[in-house]
This record gives sequence, C-alpha cells and structure tokens, in this order.
Amino acid sequence: MSRAQSLRRFGRVRTLVIPVLAAALAASACGSDSAGGAGGSPKSGGTLTFAFGSDPTCLDPQQIQLSEGLTIGREVVDTLTDQDPKTLRIVPWLAERWDVSPDAKTFTFHLRSGVTFSDGAVFDATAVQKNFDAVVALGAKATLGYAYLSGYVRTVVVDAHTARVEFKAPNAQFLQATTTPSLGFVSPASLSRTPAQRCSQPPVGSGPFVVDSYAPNQRVTLSRRTDYAWASPLARHTGAAYLNKIVFTVVAESGVRTGSLKSGQVDGISQVSPQDALGLEKQDLVLLPTIHSGIVSNLHASPSPDRPVLRDPSVLPAVQRAINRKQLVDTLLNDDFKPATSILGGNTPGHTDLSSLISFDPAAAKKLLDTGGWQPGRDGIRTKDGRRLHLDVLWVPSGFGPEQSVLELIQQQLAEVGIELGVKRLSLAQFTPLYQSNAYDLFWARGTTRADPDILRTIFGSKKPAAPGSAQAGIDKLLNDQNATVDTTRRNQLVEQAQRRILEAGYGIPVFEQTSIMGFSPKVKGVTFTAHSWLQFFDTWIAS
Amino acid sequence: MATLTESPAVTAAVTVGSPLSEAGRTAPPSVPERPPATGVGRRLAHAAGYLLRRPGLSLSLLFLLAVLIAAFFPDLLTADNPLRGDVTERLRGPSSEHWFGTDQLGRDLFARMVHGAARSLQATVLAVAVGLAIGATLGLVSGFVGGRTDAVIMRLVDLALAIPALLLALALITALGFGTVNVALAVGATSVAAFARVTRAEVLRVRTAVFVEAAVSCGARRDQVLVRHVLPHSWGPVLVLAALEFGTAILAVSALSFLGFGAAPPTPEWGSLVADGRDYLGTSWWLTTMPGLTVVATVLAANRVARAVEGERGTGR
Repeated sequence: MSRAQSLRRFGRVRTLVIPVLAAALAASACGSDSAGGAGGSPKSGGTLTFAFGSDPTCLDPQQIQLSEGLTIGREVVDTLTDQDPKTLRIVPWLAERWDVSPDAKTFTFHLRSGVTFSDGAVFDATAVQKNFDAVVALGAKATLGYAYLSGYVRTVVVDAHTARVEFKAPNAQFLQATTTPSLGFVSPASLSRTPAQRCSQPPVGSGPFVVDSYAPNQRVTLSRRTDYAWASPLARHTGAAYLNKIVFTVVAESGVRTGSLKSGQVDGISQVSPQDALGLEKQDLVLLPTIHSGIVSNLHASPSPDRPVLRDPSVLPAVQRAINRKQLVDTLLNDDFKPATSILGGNTPGHTDLSSLISFDPAAAKKLLDTGGWQPGRDGIRTKDGRRLHLDVLWVPSGFGPEQSVLELIQQQLAEVGIELGVKRLSLAQFTPLYQSNAYDLFWARGTTRADPDILRTIFGSKKPAAPGSAQAGIDKLLNDQNATVDTTRRNQLVEQAQRRILEAGYGIPVFEQTSIMGFSPKVKGVTFTAHSWLQFFDTWIAS
Repeated sequence: MATLTESPAVTAAVTVGSPLSEAGRTAPPSVPERPPATGVGRRLAHAAGYLLRRPGLSLSLLFLLAVLIAAFFPDLLTADNPLRGDVTERLRGPSSEHWFGTDQLGRDLFARMVHGAARSLQATVLAVAVGLAIGATLGLVSGFVGGRTDAVIMRLVDLALAIPALLLALALITALGFGTVNVALAVGATSVAAFARVTRAEVLRVRTAVFVEAAVSCGARRDQVLVRHVLPHSWGPVLVLAALEFGTAILAVSALSFLGFGAAPPTPEWGSLVADGRDYLGTSWWLTTMPGLTVVATVLAANRVARAVEGERGTGR
C-alpha cells in the first residue's frame, strides 16, 4: 500500500502549490453578506471547526493574498475603516472619522482611543505609521497592501490619535483599501520580526480572536479575546466574540470535505463544489453562496505585441463572441453562479452591464474572422497565410473542480467558429516565468476579489508605459484617471469606459462571476461575510 | 531454470505459455503419447489444451486482446467521438446506448476509455522498454565485467532501489515536464534498478558456465562472448520480469496521469479519466468506477499472463 500512501502524500504537496498560484494569478476570495440562520438568541461559548480546501500558507495578514489566510486575518486584525457589504459604503472602525483632500493625495484619520493589541501594546497614530511603513518595506512580499499604498510618501503622526497619510500622486482607491486585512494592524513589536517569521508565527493584532497555534497543512487554532470592546459598527453585537475557539483545518479533497460536513466532523466547509451542493441541501445543511466582487473568472490575454495570431485584430473580438457563457453556467455550474456581464463582477462599485458587447453570437464571430482573412481549413480550424488559428490557454489547476470542464467546453465552443484552443496544464513553477515574460496567449484567471473598481488598474494596467496611441495606452489613461478622481459619478464614468475598452480589445474574456459556496451545519448561526466576501465569525454562535 | 537450452525450443515453449523449466527438454513431457505429427498442429493442440485447463488465463488473454484492439483500432469498438459531446446528454448513467455512461460534458465514457487505451498502453510499453533496455544493459555490463565497474553500478542501483518508485517518478516528471511520453520515461526509469539486478544475477551464473569458458578459451572476443553466449542464456528471467513489470507500469502510468501529469485536456487517458470523475463521486459513480475497473482488470490480466509466462506448476487455477 506504499503506492497509495505516496499518492496521498503527493496530493498534499500539490495543494501547497495551488494556493500560491491562485495568488500569482490573482488574489482570490469570496463575496457578499449572508447569515447562516439567525434564529434564536445568541449564546456564548463553544468551538467552531471549519475546513478549508488548502493551507493558508502564511498567517501575516499584510503578506497573505489567499482567501484562507485573509479569512483568518480578518478575525485577528482590525482596520481603520469597514465596508458595508450591502451598500458598499465605507464606515468608521478604528478611525472614528477621516478627511480626504480634494486631490486624493492626503488622508487624515482620527483614531479611536482605548484600543489595544493582544500583547498589551496601545493602538495609536504611531502604530499606524509603523504598520504602513512596514507594508511598503515588505514590497513585493505584501503584493496587495503594497499596491494599495502605491505612491506612498509617509505617514505623519499629528498627535497620538491623528495620523495623516500622504501620497505623491492621487490615490482615490486608498480609503476602500483601509477596509481590508491587507492594511490591518499588528502590534509594533511583531513588526520587528523577519517577513518569514511573521508568516509562520501567530500574528499579534487587535482583533476579536488571537491565533494560538499553527500547524502548516493541518490546522490553525484561534481563541477569543475576552477584553475586546471595539467591534465594527457593522457587527451585530458589541463586546467579545461569542465563540470560545475556532479551529481551521485543511481538507484538500472536495469530496472528503463534503463528507466531513455531512458526518458532523466539521461544522463548516469552504469551496463546496456545485455538483455536491444539491446533496448537502437535501441533508438540511446550510449553503451560503457568495458572489465575489472584483474581476470575474476570465481568460486573460497576454499584452505582448509579439504574438501574431493573438494580436490579429479580429481574433480576440471573435473569441469574445464565440463563448456561450450561459451554456457553461447551465451545464457545469449551478444556479448560484451567474454568467459574467462585464469584466467587473456585478456587485463591484462602478460595474456596468455590458452583456451586449460580449453576448454569444457565433455568426458575428465567424464574420469577424472571415473579414479578418481567416479561411476555414479542411479540419474546420481556420488559417491565414499558412498560419493556423491556434491559441494556447495556460491553466494551473486551483482545486476548483469544474475548472477543467469549463476550459474543455470553451475549447468546444471556439472550435465551432474555427478557433483551436490548446489547454496547457502547468505547475506554478512552470507558469510563473511565462507569466512574467508575457510568453503566453491566454491564461485562466479565477478572478481577483476587490470591492473597488481600481482592481482593473491592478490587473489590466500596464507595468511599463504602453506605446502612445495604442489601445493599451488609452486604457492606461482611463485607469490612472479614475484613481485620481474622488467624485464617484465621474469616477464611475471613467470606469465604465475602461471596462468597455478592455472588452472590445479582448484583453479580458469574462466567463462567469466567481462564486464560492460555503457549507454549514444547521447549528451554526450568525455567519457573516465582509464586503470582500471573507467569512467573519465575530457574530457566529453555536446553537445547542 | 533453463540453462542449456537451445533457442528455438525456448521460443516454442514461451509461445504456448509452457513453463520455462520444461523448456530444456527436447520433447515436452505433456504430449509424449501423441504421434510426432506436423510441428504446428501439435503446438496448436497443446496450446488449446493448456488454455482450456486455465479459464482465468484464457479470460485474461481475451481481455488483453480487446484492450489491444482498443489501442490500435479504436473505431472497431466505438463510433462515438471521445472529444465532443452533447451537453444535453450529460451525466447519464450506463445504458445500452452509453455502456459506461456519459461525463459532465455529455461525452461517451466508453469512447473515451477506448481512445484513451492507445495513449495509456503506449506509455506503458515505452516505460517497460526503457526500463528493460537500460536496466538489462547495466546488469549485463555489471555482471560480465565485474570488479570496480560492478561495484559502482550496483551501488548506484542500491541507491535507486532505496527511493520509493512513485516518488522518483514524480521527481523526474517535475524535471521533464508534463506529457504522456515524459510520464512513460519517468516510470521506465524507476524500473531500471530491478532489471539491472535480475540481469546481473543471471549473467553471473552464466558467465562461469562451461560453454562460456570454452568459448573464451577458443579465443572468442569478449564482446562476442557477451552477445552470442551470455546474453541469450540470461534473458529468460529478465523477459519474465518485463512481463510482470507491465502490470505495475500500467498502474504507475495511470497514477501519474491521475495526478494530472499526463496529456493535456481534453485528450483522454485512463488515469486522468478516474481523476476527472472524482468531483462527481457523490452523484455519478460511473465516472470513476468504470475507468477504475478497467485499469484493475487490465493489471490483473497482465499479471495473470505474466505468471503463466513465468511458469506455473498448478493447473486449473
């Protein structure tokens, strides 16, 4: 049986790789507000066991980009502001109020008093300064936080309870960024550790829970802080959390995770696969589907100018029209999933329904290719000047079950109009250099969660200045302008134009809105989600 | 074990699946009462009788024959397209129309298994061939040359044997990259050590035989002695090992393909078909069960045939 053991052991190695990849492709998480049954009056105490599909890999909320780590981070650190998942309004939290300069370059936060870290240190303007400085110093290690602080000059400690953050260029997205655990606060003492130590050792935050222990690939144990008294105004109660302990375990195989929930070994699981959802509902288990804000699941096109087939002006627009999104969702997913209507998810601020631009129209796709000079060959695949209409999509399996079938169905749909799509399955190690050098046609991007349209700039903005007059240069200008605009109406207009340009150029081929389904035992009550769709267990309690 | 046998007798014996230990005798003892009729007819009758007394072996041979047809002439077994399906026919259970049911994209699973057989079997054959070629060469050189060469090669073989086979294959595939051929090479490399050991043991025994010493004393060149005298008398057990290794290799190739190291989707392979069905374990049992049973049946059949080649004493098993 040594073979079976090796198999199992390898399975574990792979799941380690997958989350990192998800991070490279895009930071992933889940979205919207929901509650796992709020009936009855909350009672304090008890332990909640929750199974993730993969290891959080790092516990430092400032460095981690995976939903698993950010979910844990959300319980451990607090942030300056919070975001209402329904209205997407920014509300006070550790900052009682704030002022934004009209040019979006200076943000002044007036901090709440009486907040302490779990090691006893006091949260004040100096802690804000040290944390933001530390995120910038982490650089690429804090991918999300570093991007949020782009153009950071310094934080001025005006007085103990007033901190002024200054940027060299307008940074309209910064206020929303202060709601995310990526800009959450850890005790100044723990900032002196090395980045690797901060990942592997329990973080010291000011949140309602404290990390007790972390066994990589097995479990993370959290216990509550009894003296917690500064919950976000969005929480349903004040004071300490209801749960005594939270145990996050790692169960890689989707079927095993479902089985663990059915048998009562765990109280909740993440990433329920669509085909298992029905079986769980029949057993009276509670399913909480959440649709992510931010970028939808899409085929991301390479910006490289040296790919002749991809850069042919008729090809990407034809791909955009040849994909039958409704068929994909109806066939392989379930009712919780929605076909994409733009490159931004429907619940992202600034999203515009542009489904008319990307509606399934094989006749239009064929016409585009005909006009572009692509003639159908003997096997149905088109050619032009002896070159086959072949595109490769790079895919690093992420553990989301239906993904491969989705790509295979897209392959079939594109073949109908004469486009050959090769699916190349890669490991993260193989993918990363290709991604960095833009040496690919398309890659499968699961989606990148953020409840702010600036995510477009993160994903579709060019790293180096684009050639003047090119489509990319136009998109870059719109994306930079929206980040310099504080006025919401004006900003949304710019965001709409950017979405339109990205879809027309085919830089992103949206497929479906990224959705996570969480499953819970019926005795778990009061589960909530942040605006970024990370689970929140502050209001959660266990009914007897 | 056969030592002083003549090559044609060995060939005939292996053809009818008779034990090698009997191969050395000029007349097979099981048919002494038969008149010495035409060689072919006698052999056929012998083979038929042998198989009739072993229904398990006959079934195994028939099954392997079907698998071989699937590998080389898939269109004889199924008319369905393995790559394109009708999504309205998705996730249908096994029926007279779809013997193995359909998958999540409405593709006929039987067609996918049949078309996947070619790749899975090619990889297996390549894997065994790689192991046999490299392993036997190393063993031959090691056993015949002896001395320091022997010591160095055998310590390397010790090293290779100390690493679990699948782990070694995984390490190799990570270095080589994904794909059916790379899977085959990785699996083949893991069996090199076993082939080297067995070959060396045989060579050591044959090397000291009188006829080899005679050849040497007659002044034959060393390479000639190796190829003309030592090799033909030592490859019997090695070939048996190759037959046994075939079953293991199917399993290893399927395991790596299961883990996603094989051909790119939508190309079907046996292992990847099992893996694809995993997410539907709770709702559509046939997606994993049918390919899984086929792999099991092929491995069992290959092992049964290999055991017959190895030589079995009992009958009617």
